[in-house]
Amino acid sequence: MATWKNGKVWMAAMLCLIIVLAGCSSNNGGSKENTNNSKNNSNAAAEQDSTNTGATNAATDGGADAKSSIEFMGWGGDTEKAVFQKLIDAYMKKYPNKKVKYTVVPSAEYYQKLDTLIAAKKTPDVFYAGGANFNKLVASGVLKNLQPMLDSSSLVDQTNVWPAGLDRYRFDGTTTGQGDIYGLPKDVGPWTFAYNKDLFDKAGLPYPSAKAGEYTWDDMIADAKKLTVANDRGKIDTFGVAGYSTESAVWANGGDWTDGKGTITIDTPEFAQAMQFVADLSLVNKVSPSPDDEKAQNGYARFVAGKIAMFPMGPWDQPGFWDLPFNWDIAAWPASPNTGKTATWLGSLGFVVSDKTEFPDDAFRLAAYLSLDQESQKQNYELGQAVPNLIDMAKGEFLQMDKKPENRQVFLDIISDYGRPPIENSSKNTKWLDTFWQDASVVWNGKQSAAEFVKAEQPKLQKLYDESNK
Amino acid sequence: MKNTKVGYRRKEMIWSLIFVMPPVLGFLIFGLAPLLTSFGLSFMSWDMLTPSKFVGADNFNYMFNDEKFYKSLYNTFFLLLGIPVGMVISMILAIMMNRKLSGISIFRTIYYIPVISPIIAVSLLWQWMLNYDYGLVNEFIWKIFGTQGPNWLGDPNWVKPSFIIMGLWGGVGGTMVLYLAGLQGISSTYYEAAEVDGATRWHQFKHITLPLLSPIHFYVVVMGIIGTFQSFSQMYILAADGGPEYSGATIVYYIFQEAFKYFNMGYASSVAWVLGILIFIITLVQFRLSKRWVYQD
Repeated sequence: MATWKNGKVWMAAMLCLIIVLAGCSSNNGGSKENTNNSKNNSNAAAEQDSTNTGATNAATDGGADAKSSIEFMGWGGDTEKAVFQKLIDAYMKKYPNKKVKYTVVPSAEYYQKLDTLIAAKKTPDVFYAGGANFNKLVASGVLKNLQPMLDSSSLVDQTNVWPAGLDRYRFDGTTTGQGDIYGLPKDVGPWTFAYNKDLFDKAGLPYPSAKAGEYTWDDMIADAKKLTVANDRGKIDTFGVAGYSTESAVWANGGDWTDGKGTITIDTPEFAQAMQFVADLSLVNKVSPSPDDEKAQNGYARFVAGKIAMFPMGPWDQPGFWDLPFNWDIAAWPASPNTGKTATWLGSLGFVVSDKTEFPDDAFRLAAYLSLDQESQKQNYELGQAVPNLIDMAKGEFLQMDKKPENRQVFLDIISDYGRPPIENSSKNTKWLDTFWQDASVVWNGKQSAAEFVKAEQPKLQKLYDESNK
Repeated sequence: MKNTKVGYRRKEMIWSLIFVMPPVLGFLIFGLAPLLTSFGLSFMSWDMLTPSKFVGADNFNYMFNDEKFYKSLYNTFFLLLGIPVGMVISMILAIMMNRKLSGISIFRTIYYIPVISPIIAVSLLWQWMLNYDYGLVNEFIWKIFGTQGPNWLGDPNWVKPSFIIMGLWGGVGGTMVLYLAGLQGISSTYYEAAEVDGATRWHQFKHITLPLLSPIHFYVVVMGIIGTFQSFSQMYILAADGGPEYSGATIVYYIFQEAFKYFNMGYASSVAWVLGILIFIITLVQFRLSKRWVYQD
C-alpha cells in the first residue's frame, strides 16, 4: 500500500519535472544538447589532433581525416536549403570523419535565434552574417579571425575571389572594410537595372546601354514618358520605371548617407537633388507608380505582369524572371547628368566562424568549401541564385551561360567597378536607417521637398546613428 | 495534542504541494523569473552579445525623450476607441441572439467564428479586403456611395481606424457571448414587474437590462483596455515597418522592435515595465471607479 502510494507520488513528481524540462529544452532548440554530448565523448582526442595539425601544418591540407562535428546555421527558401543540403552531403562524403549539422531558420527570425544562441553560449560553429549585423558581431568579439587560416591554407586562392566580396568581411579592431578577414562571401549580389525589351520595342526605343555612364537620368525620363501608357479610364496602366533605387541616385549624384567616419551627410545639395529626382519620377513626371499605387500592387508584381518597362533586380530574381512571357535584359544604372557617373549597391552575405568553436580548422574548412568550392559555385549560378564568387568562373562559363539576361557583363561590372556596400554596412545597427526610410515617405508623397526633409532629418539621424555606434 | 494530527496533516500537505507544484513551478520559471530579470534589465544596457552594463535611469530618460515612444503610445490610446464601439455592437448582437428562435445557435456560432480564427490568416485576408485599388471594401464603397474609399492601410490617418475595424470584426463575437450569458442571468421577474407598471421596452432596457449588465460592462472594459494595450499581431502583419509615418505602431510593437530587431534588451525591458505600470494604474482606477456604477447582486 505504502509503496503504491509512493509510486504515485513519484509519478506526479516526474510529471512536474517532465513538464518543466520540456519547456526548457524547447527553448534551447531541441537536440543541440545531444550533439554536444557526443562531441565531448568521442571526439575530444581527435579535436586536439586537429588543432595541433592545423597550427603546425602550413599550406597543406592537414587534419583532413580528423574527426569533428560542426553546427552550421543559415536561412533561405526551399531552393537554397536543398542546394546547401546537397553541398553538405557531398562535403561529408569527401571527409567521412566530419559531421555537419545543418539548421535552417526562417530569415525573419534568423538574427533573433542567433543572438539568443550566442547569449546562451551555444553559438553555431559556422553561420551566416552580413551587413550591420556582421559589424555588430565582429565588434563584439563573437567571430573568429580567419586571416591566419586563410594565409596558411591551400583551400583558398584569395586572388581568385572578388575583392569586393572579401573586403566586406575585413575588420581591423575598430572599423570594418579593412584589416583581417573574418568571413567568406556566400555570394555577391549586384543590384541591377532590368528592362522589358518588348515594351521598348513596342515604343520603338533603343535599349538602355549596358555600359556605365552612357544612359543618363534625362534619357531615362524621356524614355519612361514614352513608355508610360494610360488605359481608357485614364488610369496609368503601364509605367516607365518602378522601384528606382534611391541609393543609386544619391551615390551617382555624389552624395551619401554617411561620410564613413560617423557623420550623417544627408543634408547636402547633391543628396537632396538625387532624392528629389526619385520622388519626382512619380510626383512630377508621372512615369513611376506613386506610394498609393505601390500599396495596391507592388512594382515587382507589376513588372512580372509586363506593366513596368524598367525595374531593378538582383541575381536571385533570375529563376523567377526566366519564366516571364516577355523578353528582358539588364543595363547599367542610369548616370547622374551632374557627375556622369553611376552607382548601385552590391549586397553580400558571408559565412563566419564562431570564435568559441571547438573545431576552428574544420569550421574554416566548411566555410571555405561552401564559399568557394567549384561544384557548389557552379550549381549556385546554374540555379540562378548568385554570381560565382570565383573570378575565373564568373568571367568564364558564367558569362557564356545560355540564359537571360544577355548582358551578364553588367553583373560583373557592378562587382568590380561601380557597386558599393549597402548603406547599412556603415553601421552596427539599422535603427537610424529604418527611421530614415520611415520618415522619407513625406518626400515620396510630396508633402515635403527633399531639401526640407533632409535638413530636418539630419540631426535626428545623427543622434540615432551615434547611439547605435558608440 | 497536536502530534496526533501531524501524520495525517503531513500527508495532506505533501499531496497538496505535489498537486500545486506544476503551476507554481511554471509560474516561477516562466513568470516570475522573467519578471524579475526584466526589472533588473530595465536599468541596464544589454545587446545579448556583450556583457550587460548598469546604466541607472538612462533607459527611462531616453524613453521620455523618444519621439517613437510617444507616437506608439498615442497610437495605442487611439485604438482604445474600439472598446466602446465594440461594446455597443456586441450588446445589440447579444440582445438579438437572446431570443428563442429555431437555429439561433447557428447564428451564435457564426458570430463567434472570428474569435477562434487565427489572427495571422485573418490579418492577411483583411489586407486584401482593404486594398486601396482592388479591395472589396473600397469596391463596396464605390458601388454604394459612388466615391473612392480611403487608402486604408496606406494613409497615416486611416491605418488606426482600419485596425479598429478589424479588431471589432474579430472581437465582438467573444464579447457577445459574455453579454448573452449576462442577459440570461437576469431574472424575468424584473421585466414582468416593470411591464405591470407600464414600462416600455426602452424603459425596461434602460432601467433593468443595462444596469444589471454592469458587471459585464466592467469586465469587458477592463479586459478590453488590457488587450488593446497589448495589441501586436495585426500591426506586425499589416504594418511591418510601423506603417506610414509610424502610424500603425503600438507600444508592444515598439518593444518588440527594440528587443528583437535592434537588440536593445535593457531598453525594451524598461519600456515593458512602463507599459505594465501603466496598465496597472489604469486598472486600479477602474476598480476604484467601479464602486460607483457596477451593481453586484
